[in-house]
Amino acid sequence: MAHVVLKDLVKTYGSFKAVNNVSLTVNDGEFVALVGPSGCGKTTTLNLVAGLIPITSGDIVIGDRVVNDLDPKDRDIAMVFQNYALYPQKSVYKNLAFPLQMRRLPKEEIDRKVREAARVLDMTELLERKPRELSGGQQQRVALGRALVRDPSVFLMDEPLSNLDAKLRVQMRSEIKRFHQDLKATIIYVTHDQLEAVTMADRMAVMNGGYLQQYDSPAQVFAHPVNMFVASFVGSPAMSLVPLEASTANGKSVLTSAEGWSLELSPHNAQKVAKAKTRKIVLGARHSTIKLHKSAVPGSIPAKAYTVEPTGDVTFVQAFLSGALVNISMPPTIAVAPDEQIWLEFDQERMHLFDGETEMALKAH
Amino acid sequence: MSAIAGTASRGQARRRRIDGWRWSGRIFLVFILLYTALPMIWMLITSIKSGFAAMQFPPQWWPDQPTLASYQKLLDPQNSVGQDFLRFFWNSLFVSTATTILSVIVAVPAAYAFSRFTFPGRNFLFFAVLLRNMFPAVIFLVPLFILMRAIGLVNTHGSLILTYLTFGLPLAIWLLKGFYDNIPVQLEQAARIDGATRFQAFVLIVMPLSAPGIIATAIYSFIGAWNEYIYAYTFLSKNEQLTLPVGIQRFFSENTTDFPGLMAASFMMSVPVVVLFLVLQRYFVRALTEGAVKH
Amino acid sequence: MTILTGKAEAHRRLQSDKSGMLRKIWSHRADYAYVLPAIVVMLIVIAYPVYYTIELSFFNTPPGLQLRDKIFTGLDNYTAILKSPVFWKVTSNTLIWTLASTLIAFVLGFACALALHRDFAGRGILRAILIIPWVISAVAASYIWKWIYHSDFGIIGAVLVGLGLADRPPNFIDSVSTVLPSLIVVNIWREFPFAMIMMMAGLQTVPDQLLRAAKVDGANAWQRFCHVTFPHLRNVSTVTILLLAVANFNSFIIPWIMTGGGPSNASHIWITHIYELAFGRQRWGVASAYSVLLFMIVMSLGYFYVRALSGNERKDGSV
Repeated sequence: MAHVVLKDLVKTYGSFKAVNNVSLTVNDGEFVALVGPSGCGKTTTLNLVAGLIPITSGDIVIGDRVVNDLDPKDRDIAMVFQNYALYPQKSVYKNLAFPLQMRRLPKEEIDRKVREAARVLDMTELLERKPRELSGGQQQRVALGRALVRDPSVFLMDEPLSNLDAKLRVQMRSEIKRFHQDLKATIIYVTHDQLEAVTMADRMAVMNGGYLQQYDSPAQVFAHPVNMFVASFVGSPAMSLVPLEASTANGKSVLTSAEGWSLELSPHNAQKVAKAKTRKIVLGARHSTIKLHKSAVPGSIPAKAYTVEPTGDVTFVQAFLSGALVNISMPPTIAVAPDEQIWLEFDQERMHLFDGETEMALKAH
Repeated sequence: MSAIAGTASRGQARRRRIDGWRWSGRIFLVFILLYTALPMIWMLITSIKSGFAAMQFPPQWWPDQPTLASYQKLLDPQNSVGQDFLRFFWNSLFVSTATTILSVIVAVPAAYAFSRFTFPGRNFLFFAVLLRNMFPAVIFLVPLFILMRAIGLVNTHGSLILTYLTFGLPLAIWLLKGFYDNIPVQLEQAARIDGATRFQAFVLIVMPLSAPGIIATAIYSFIGAWNEYIYAYTFLSKNEQLTLPVGIQRFFSENTTDFPGLMAASFMMSVPVVVLFLVLQRYFVRALTEGAVKH
Repeated sequence: MTILTGKAEAHRRLQSDKSGMLRKIWSHRADYAYVLPAIVVMLIVIAYPVYYTIELSFFNTPPGLQLRDKIFTGLDNYTAILKSPVFWKVTSNTLIWTLASTLIAFVLGFACALALHRDFAGRGILRAILIIPWVISAVAASYIWKWIYHSDFGIIGAVLVGLGLADRPPNFIDSVSTVLPSLIVVNIWREFPFAMIMMMAGLQTVPDQLLRAAKVDGANAWQRFCHVTFPHLRNVSTVTILLLAVANFNSFIIPWIMTGGGPSNASHIWITHIYELAFGRQRWGVASAYSVLLFMIVMSLGYFYVRALSGNERKDGSV
């Protein structure tokens, strides 16, 4: 296994910058997820690491080698593709053997390694089948197996689960996680599904528009998103973002809405707002940090329920607040009907505040 | 039209109208089958008549004394007719096979490049190649004849092979490009990561997958070369080099009344390409579906 | 994708600001290697002949293929052609030949494709039989039909006499009035299978969902054909018709072998006429001028062909 370093990585197509000065380090044995919406540059970044497309500038280090100019075959990497990319004309056995044959290993060793990988992935009885005779999950497993037999220093995975149905995806998620733990493998994993990143990765790199937005552990990214994009991208249902105006009333710092209400800020939050260069503030709150009341309590804000979605153990309510949709979760014991008048109370400790102009998170110091 | 009828519902009222479509489809197919098959059947019947039996009015619908004499004459290496015919046959086989092999060798990389790479001028070159389909053969006859003479290829099979190559190439490249378009690029990427060079990825992974397209290309080139007449008629003058279409035409313009012999020769000239096509036609139809029509 | 990687590429990119296009082409030089064989063959066998034909069309040439003593005569060849009555006769023959062959072959082929779309017992065999005329050599086809049309022993004549529809066997290809239609029947016989194959391939791409949706919306079989099937096949139809039209415009073998253009030019079309001018009467300059005119007509057809094809390309999403 090896560590991977990306330094000021840039990839341009004509005037279009697909990857923009991305720098990050993947430690030996670490599972890193590259996550972002489609077109954010995550797959391009992965292809750059793989060597499938040439880099425009910057450096890629795998282990202790700069691999900028190396062919994919010389980078000692393995890759799992979204559509699995199993060779359709070859049996499962031959698919697994192919990378070893390319390395001119002796026949007996190839056979031993293929059977070992098949045993580990529990697909010995599938070895003679052709890929089209396999289910999606089995194909996925063969693709993993083909990466595994090589014993590479880095595994690259490009949305490996997105072609599976929901149930299988959850199952394969834990299998890949287990795979990482058992092998102590260095894995770079691309996904558009933030849930996969949060549940599997040691660290996640959130990308948007070719830029690396935030690179941290899922817990940190979840608790301290650096900007509005990351805040709204990570977490489900998405963090609610309400645009407000900062002002002072009776010597206290408040956020006021065009709807007429205002919200008094705690000293800590007031300090953040005071440091902001603009009066336009966006309030961010996750569904679990908003409390729903059926009657007015001090510090609560009036709103109107829009939709009510019971899921069993929690019920999600959406409400309009200052022109934005706000997600609230509550115990199913409280009954709320659409269009009913409700009151919302924000948890000041777990509230996020963003600069309305730069969209960056506000800091207390 | 019964195609549409086939997917229609089971309702009684509709049934009747749908049967109307189906019946008109069947009647049409019978008519078109007669149009297609009767000339070929008449060719076969004539070919087993004696020269005398063929020249009768009204004709013998089925020969009183069927005979394979015409075939025996054509295939007998002892007499001069048989020698000529067999030599023409061999010439056609050689020219067609060589054309086919070269077409595949040239078309495969070109089609692959047109499908995968984006180099400057790619579209222009692609359409320039396709445009070859548009040129009438006769435009090229005089200048090509002069060109072939300049490079010493007149009265050689090389002149035909080089010329035929350009007939087949445009469609071959177009068909194959469609195939490569449909092969996911990830397969090659996977192969390259698995340790293959670009070239190995192409040969070991992509080539086998495009086999149906290559087979279709090969059939097309072979049939085109086998049946070509106008260049062979112009470029070759020595009897021992003629290909079948020209050879037969030369031969029977001297023996204008031997219709059984002519029909037997026409039949035998058709056998190789018909058999080849019927055996491999599914590849051809598939290549057209995937390569030419789908996108 | 290129084979170049990393620093080499970046280095090249810096230089490319100076002479962008050449650098760009240079950086893709490995890609050109793949198409080079095709291009070279095409250049030798197309570009040179086209150039030479155009040049020759401005010269008066002596008989024989030495062509050393040709005399520049400007546009004389062209004006001579346009003044000749044969030119107009041949042109009208070519138009009738091309239009009738193309349209009838397309309609027959399309109808066959529709009739064969649904599976039934014997469909494979039927389809195979229908394709055979397209596969066999046009020379063989010409002889088969010449025998069928034979004015003394032809089977059609015999059937007509036998049924009492004619007193004596008609002269199909020896009479000025019937020769062209008779040859067109042969040509269609050989060409409709191509339209059939193309349209069968096209029909397989009509999405079943759309047909079902149309049925749910209450469209009958004819309406489904008009509103779903046919619009979906517009591109394939265009390409097929154009390919047929060009093939017919360029056809040579059937009229050449069956009639040689006769009787009295009634079955001469452009190509046979040019061939006769060049190789029969050795009037290379005039034949070349004819070829250039023909070339221009075909190129204008070619323009639509490329448009139809690039329509396909765009839908494909690839550039």
